[in-house]
Amino acid sequence: MNVNDLIERLMMFIPFLLSLTVHEWAHAWTAWKLGDDTAKLLGRLSLNPLVHMDPIGTFLLPLMGVPFGWAKPVPVNPLRFRPGVSLRGGMLLVAAAGPISNALIATGAFLAFKLLTQPQFVGLLPQLGPVPFLLIMLIQVNVVLCVFNLFPIPPLDGSKIIDGVIPDSLRPAWNQYCSLGPILLIGLILLPQLTGFNPIGEAVGFVMRLLFIGG
Amino acid sequence: MWLGKDLRNPMNSKWKTLLFWGVLLGVFIALYQMNRGGGIRTVPFKAFANSVMTGSVRSVEIDGNRIRFQLDGSSRSETVGVLSEALNDRLSELGIEPQYGAFKDGIGSIIVYVVAAVLLIAALIWFLKKMSGGAGGFNLLELSKSRAKLVGAETKITFADVGGCQEAKELFGDVVDFLKAPERWSKAGVRLPRGILLEGPPGSGKTYLARAVAGETGAQFYVVAASEFVQLFVGVGAARVRDMFETATKNSPAVIFIDEIDAIGRRRGSGLGGSHDEREQTLNQLLVCLDGFQQQPRIVVIAATNRPDILDQALLRPGRFDRRIKMPELTRADRIEILNIHTKDKPLDRDVSLDEVAGWTEGQHGADLESLTNEAALLAVRRARQQSAELAVTRADFRQALRPRESQNRLFDRLDAVLIESTSQLAEPTGRAVVRLHLKDHPPMEGDVLWVDATFIKLRPSGSETAVLVPKAQIQRLEAISGTEAVSRDDVSADKWAGRRTDLA
Repeated sequence: MNVNDLIERLMMFIPFLLSLTVHEWAHAWTAWKLGDDTAKLLGRLSLNPLVHMDPIGTFLLPLMGVPFGWAKPVPVNPLRFRPGVSLRGGMLLVAAAGPISNALIATGAFLAFKLLTQPQFVGLLPQLGPVPFLLIMLIQVNVVLCVFNLFPIPPLDGSKIIDGVIPDSLRPAWNQYCSLGPILLIGLILLPQLTGFNPIGEAVGFVMRLLFIGG
Repeated sequence: MWLGKDLRNPMNSKWKTLLFWGVLLGVFIALYQMNRGGGIRTVPFKAFANSVMTGSVRSVEIDGNRIRFQLDGSSRSETVGVLSEALNDRLSELGIEPQYGAFKDGIGSIIVYVVAAVLLIAALIWFLKKMSGGAGGFNLLELSKSRAKLVGAETKITFADVGGCQEAKELFGDVVDFLKAPERWSKAGVRLPRGILLEGPPGSGKTYLARAVAGETGAQFYVVAASEFVQLFVGVGAARVRDMFETATKNSPAVIFIDEIDAIGRRRGSGLGGSHDEREQTLNQLLVCLDGFQQQPRIVVIAATNRPDILDQALLRPGRFDRRIKMPELTRADRIEILNIHTKDKPLDRDVSLDEVAGWTEGQHGADLESLTNEAALLAVRRARQQSAELAVTRADFRQALRPRESQNRLFDRLDAVLIESTSQLAEPTGRAVVRLHLKDHPPMEGDVLWVDATFIKLRPSGSETAVLVPKAQIQRLEAISGTEAVSRDDVSADKWAGRRTDLA
């Protein structure tokens, strides 16, 4: 690894931190809007990355070059939702808020990037310095976060979304599947190393191709 | 830590968040600038091969399997791979001679590596600290520290503040003198007791006396409860004993006061269910430490217990806690003295005679008297507030404060009086008194009184062979039916104690 890679990794870390923070904040904000103030009382309804970070998952692993990380999960107490909000529906919304926030950031960054690369603005690009670079990084990071979190594997957000819509007849089987969650998650992360097939990479690549070639 | 601040001052937190992101943005731009000029980009080997084949390469450097190359457009790149035949041929075709040898990174890159390493190590240290410290966390280094508390000079008390205990004070006189002027004693070759065991019932002023010793000598006073030596982990207790003695030695002259020493000083090998290794280890360490500081003579260890009978013999042998001071029962004069001390700062009404109060409090200890004066003063304050009268503690206040203590005794006294009276009227002096007991939650019982003590009456009900113990507190009315005339007392039930159920029966 040379110096420039290292610097690039450090640069990548900043949009990563931003996106992770917004992701967790979105969970907390949605829960609060639905009536559950648990996260707010814990000070988690904040865009300060320090309240969400997990020393290992947010700093150590990403900075050491492990392409994987996490933040402290935002606690949600569905019993405190406003009357009228069903427990399952509310949990679904709260879970979906994280990936949606990342999708929004990615979309916003993508639109900005598209705008900057329009023929009439191309001349401006060199004067903008790090901005296009930042936009590309934001798109990358947020697509990864959104896609990865939508995998239906507990405890990822995707599983919680399925939990909210699954019919009762399938629930016993689903619960059994959920107990395997952590093993499956480790499997998912190790799969590229073991078999060369990278489901996360494939999914992210698919979205990126859609954006940049199809879009 | 962040959390607490967030809750207290949201504005502050908002600015902090903004500032944080501002700094990160600055870092991002700085890193970008660093990476721009003269930066080296890592590219796939394929890109390198393509550049060679298209002939856009200017120069090539090789260090092992790392290849650095410069393109026409002046940007430098690095890749990993080995030059193939074809590439080599193509390079010679282009007239480029690959330079072999170790790459030289500039000073700037070394700085970046160092900064990254420092950041990583700092993150690790921070994380480990967070794991070990913090609320509810557990710190191995702190575990073996003695919890002995240093009692500050501002609460200094002397023998003058201790009422009574003349004998004990005299016994302590030597110790005090020894702490003040050790030369005099060492010149005479005297080995002074360094362990003193205070024995006495709870509340008899053991702690107070020990503090007075420290106050009298101006020595540091360390207080520790023996149970603080007892810990989940084997060896911790012993380590704490050592730590305590080390601290005291550093700050000598010092008095170490170990309260409730029976927690660790129980006779060894007497526990239930096998050995008590940890406690014995702690005790052994304490014994060794007591022996060991002959060289640092200005430490005195005072231990207090209300169970001297269960202490290990080794604690009591000469050279250890060989001076045993029994907290004496207070005489009337002592009680007056103690009452004087405790009423010094309380406005007493003229009708209060402490001599009389001392008479009411036969058998009570210093703590009882202190609480009595406090209770009386409290009543006086309450009365003064309600009647907006001048604040003064009156005789009535003292009586009132004594009531709860006395009332049960009075009730029992009355029961006994009835019993004695009925016995004295027996036709036959050796016969048994026959009584009828009206109980609170039991049908009345009638029978021979076998014996009576402070809280129970033993009765053999008429027509029964087995005797029963009846708690006096259960008795509502006692009626004597033996003797020449029936004696009955039912004023017992007028007492508030009589109406209260107890868990005795």
